[in-house]
Amino acid sequence: MTTMRSVLVRWETLLVVLIVAAMAWSATLSPYYFYLDQILGSTRFFIIPGLMALGLMMVVIQGEIDISLTSTLAVGTTLAATLQAAGWGLVPTFVAIIVVCALLGAVNGILVAGYGLPSLAVTLGTMGAYSGLAYVIGGEQGYSAFPDSFTWLGGSDLGIVPVSLIVFCLVAVTAAVTLRSTVFGRFSYAIGAGATAAAFGGVPVRRSKIVAYTLAGALAGLGALIWIGQYASARADNADGGILFVVTAVVLGGVSINGGKGTVLGVVLSLFLLGTLSNGLGLANVAGPTQTLILGTLLVVSVAGPRLYAMARQRFGGGQGTPQVSGSGDPGRRRSDTDPAGSLSKDPAAEPARP
Amino acid sequence: MSPRTPSDAVPTNQFSRRRFGAVALGGVAGLGLAACGVSSKDGAGSAGAAAAGSSGAAGSGSAPTSGFTLLETPKWTGFPYFEQARIGGEKAAKELADSFTYAGADHPDSSLQTETLQNFLTQRPSAILVAAIDGDAIAPVLKKARQQGIKVVSFEGDAAVDARDVFCNPVGYELIATTELDCALLNDPDGGKVAFVAASPTAPNHTAIIKYMREHIENDPKYAKLTAIDDVQYANDDDATSYNVAVNLMQAHPDLKFIISPSSVSVPAAARAIVASGRKGKVYATGQTLPNSVKEFMKDGSMKASMMWDPQELGYIAVYAAHHLITGDLTGEEGATFEAGSAGKFTVGKDGEIVYKKPLVFTPDNIDDFDF
Amino acid sequence: MTAGLDPRHSVGIAAPGTGGRSRIGMALRVRFLGVAIFLVLLWTVFSISADNFLTGGNARAIVFAAAVLTIAAVGEALVVLTGNLDLSVGSTMGLAAYITADVSIGLPGLNVGLVALAVLIGAALGALNGLLVAWLKIPSIVATLGTMSIYRGLTYVYADGQQITSNEVPSWFGRLAAGAVLGIPNLVLAAAAVVAVVALVLRHTVAGRMLYAVGSNIEAARFFGLPSTRVVWLAYVAGGAIAGLAGFLYAAQVGTVTVVLADGWELQVLAAAVIGGVSIWGGSGSVIGVALGAVVLATIQNGLILLHVQAYWQLLIQGVAIALAVAVDATVSRREVAMNRTRRRVAVTA
Repeated sequence: MTTMRSVLVRWETLLVVLIVAAMAWSATLSPYYFYLDQILGSTRFFIIPGLMALGLMMVVIQGEIDISLTSTLAVGTTLAATLQAAGWGLVPTFVAIIVVCALLGAVNGILVAGYGLPSLAVTLGTMGAYSGLAYVIGGEQGYSAFPDSFTWLGGSDLGIVPVSLIVFCLVAVTAAVTLRSTVFGRFSYAIGAGATAAAFGGVPVRRSKIVAYTLAGALAGLGALIWIGQYASARADNADGGILFVVTAVVLGGVSINGGKGTVLGVVLSLFLLGTLSNGLGLANVAGPTQTLILGTLLVVSVAGPRLYAMARQRFGGGQGTPQVSGSGDPGRRRSDTDPAGSLSKDPAAEPARP
Repeated sequence: MSPRTPSDAVPTNQFSRRRFGAVALGGVAGLGLAACGVSSKDGAGSAGAAAAGSSGAAGSGSAPTSGFTLLETPKWTGFPYFEQARIGGEKAAKELADSFTYAGADHPDSSLQTETLQNFLTQRPSAILVAAIDGDAIAPVLKKARQQGIKVVSFEGDAAVDARDVFCNPVGYELIATTELDCALLNDPDGGKVAFVAASPTAPNHTAIIKYMREHIENDPKYAKLTAIDDVQYANDDDATSYNVAVNLMQAHPDLKFIISPSSVSVPAAARAIVASGRKGKVYATGQTLPNSVKEFMKDGSMKASMMWDPQELGYIAVYAAHHLITGDLTGEEGATFEAGSAGKFTVGKDGEIVYKKPLVFTPDNIDDFDF
Repeated sequence: MTAGLDPRHSVGIAAPGTGGRSRIGMALRVRFLGVAIFLVLLWTVFSISADNFLTGGNARAIVFAAAVLTIAAVGEALVVLTGNLDLSVGSTMGLAAYITADVSIGLPGLNVGLVALAVLIGAALGALNGLLVAWLKIPSIVATLGTMSIYRGLTYVYADGQQITSNEVPSWFGRLAAGAVLGIPNLVLAAAAVVAVVALVLRHTVAGRMLYAVGSNIEAARFFGLPSTRVVWLAYVAGGAIAGLAGFLYAAQVGTVTVVLADGWELQVLAAAVIGGVSIWGGSGSVIGVALGAVVLATIQNGLILLHVQAYWQLLIQGVAIALAVAVDATVSRREVAMNRTRRRVAVTA
């Protein structure tokens, strides 16, 4: 446990170092970078994927994944447009969006946890289905006639601080407290470390997973509310294709894709790192393809680097280098989920690596 | 920052911006790395801004007439059509001695485009040129730009009317629609059944063009020989999807005569599907195309006409419009006119639209005159 | 190590105990049947509701539309069988296709060598994925998410704002893609050949059996001395090579090669594999099922156009089809697990 903790600390330290480096680099790339209002303003673009990343990490910590979140968001924006056009007020609309998106998340959770289906495949399906739903709700036209009250949340500033940034910070703090100090949080890590063991230990695995998916859906709904403020526009293709960025943020934040590990701080830092890079490169007018290349390389190197280091230490130093990210234990976990006998032969948490 | 860096030349004082971390950063910037990453084509992005800004601030009676910083973002970078517009823009900027920078995300995503525009805004250019993906989504950031005195020119895809000064529209949706129908009749004067393929339900220009095509087919006696099928198919500007959609449309409507699409990706893919299905001469694909992508079909007789406009000229005119807006020679008012170098004189129409109605129709006879 | 090279051993590991092959065979047949039944249902519904659905020409159109997708999905299936994923498949196709098309302009005389070039590029990109996943033990989602961006970014950098149009590449590209032998389109033949070869390799070679073994239970495979690292790596290399081939054929089919060729295909390909009954957990699934999965996707697209349904309903229906397929798959694998348990007991007592 202590080694795991120190690894996590090291990971977040690494992120901080990278952020500082990225800021310094951005400042050299562009003379326009180093202004507080500029930096605060640029955070705007990471709040919507950031909210989805916080939701996704809840799911990933429990060893599952949800790639339907961006489609869930699109359902949220198009529904907001429809309800607003039908004369609904601000509060009922906002509540309805969050509830509907949470329900969509719950559907994922029930399919995954209730029926024991593989989460990647299920959410691959619901990603398409929800996206289709967004088109059915939103029709072919975009909608942009939102009144100011609807766009305040995502579109205004308090001083030089975007309101949406404050919302994000509140959500992040809540998520951190939830994961750290609540029963749900403890259950989450226990399930991620080994669902079978957790179930034997009395953890309500199914319910916890459904809750995680529901929270993720609700956060995508909150993302939808920010979206209509930030872009004053709702279309069925909103956030389409953005899920890979969200997954990148979560993974780069040190959340193990196999579950059991990860902190809100790490995800927030990784969002800040991605944001800083994107902002700096954007201000220097670096072409989009180059940015894609840099982000992809960063993801691979940041995960492979510590791994290489650990392997080198194991080989040459003889030390017990703990790798950062453990292997994809999905098959094993699934099997142990449904077959207690299988779990005796392997414990995903103890297994450091698996291709 | 270090006094040696060009960033100090940027006139930030006129805006109330907060600097921080100057001490912490001094060391880094002082290494002299400061200029290395500015990727403006002529390496004069910030210098150009400095020149424009300082001469403006000097205010010595004569307003500056060149050296403005123009930042352009297409729907996405790496797409040949917009690379052509970029070439035209660079040519115009060179003639006008302005600094021209072209940047953007690598796929059409309106939230990424908004981010690009926000980054543009921070750089305090004299003008921003944008081909909007979702004209409403970028409206807030463009309005902010206009409040700060930055001129905004949209081209190819329009932004919300109050979020830009002028919109350079090479043809106009209705004229595109009728030209595409003309192309259909050039392919087969006897007319027949028409199917439409658009990029997506949320592409506003495609939706508008197809709407006009339907109206003209219904009401315009010139196109009485055409009939339109009810549903529109979407192919996401994707080759394989377009190909499959075309094949499926031919299956769904054995008597189909034309597949018309405003997507320059879908038309050649559909033309290929027609040839591959052995329906050459029975079904024709037409619509908007880059000429190079359909030369093959023009040569083998499977396509007799398609249309486009000159994207280089569009980029060229947009830069001229931006320049004249900055100098004040041009306003967004209806009836205002401006000279756009070698392209000629243009008039601003209703809602700040500069429609110059110059569609290019490609036929087997003239296709080799074009190379883009 | 050598013990694992006996195919019977690896089969034994895939399904511990006796009679592994026939049981696995049965499970595969059940999965396969699931897709087949779904396909028949789909065809029945469309035949009744759409006028021009049940014609020879339309069947040809559907199979043709599924051809390249099938090839790409077979490559993906190899990786998925080992319990991993390849999200970079679309980018691999794009990069292999673009470089090959570009080389074909300068060296049109290479002819079939160009196909080999595409396959080689794909294999090289797959090898890098495999290196990250098999040797560095990076979770495959993470590694291939990264290389997806990297390969696509490289394509952009290589292309430098250009595209390659059909009049620049050798004319046999188009003839290859549009041609047919005995009325069967070349692309369909290519897909059938790829499916057949891979199916045979999976069924009858040591490497093929080891792939299933590693996918079913990597620790057990390792315990029994299988070179699981190398098996996973090879799966990526082979999957990449097939993706390279798919990229080439895609380019030949559409003629114009752009930087976004096959962008977003990773999800389509994964959908085909999942609908085709390949378990996302690895260790089970057949490539014939994958081919049927691709045909299901093509059928949905085709049938809805024939029904004059607005295109966005496709998304919804495809999504539901995927969820359905997964549910069927889960039911089957639960029964398999139950069978495994009995078998294990038998093995222990034996």
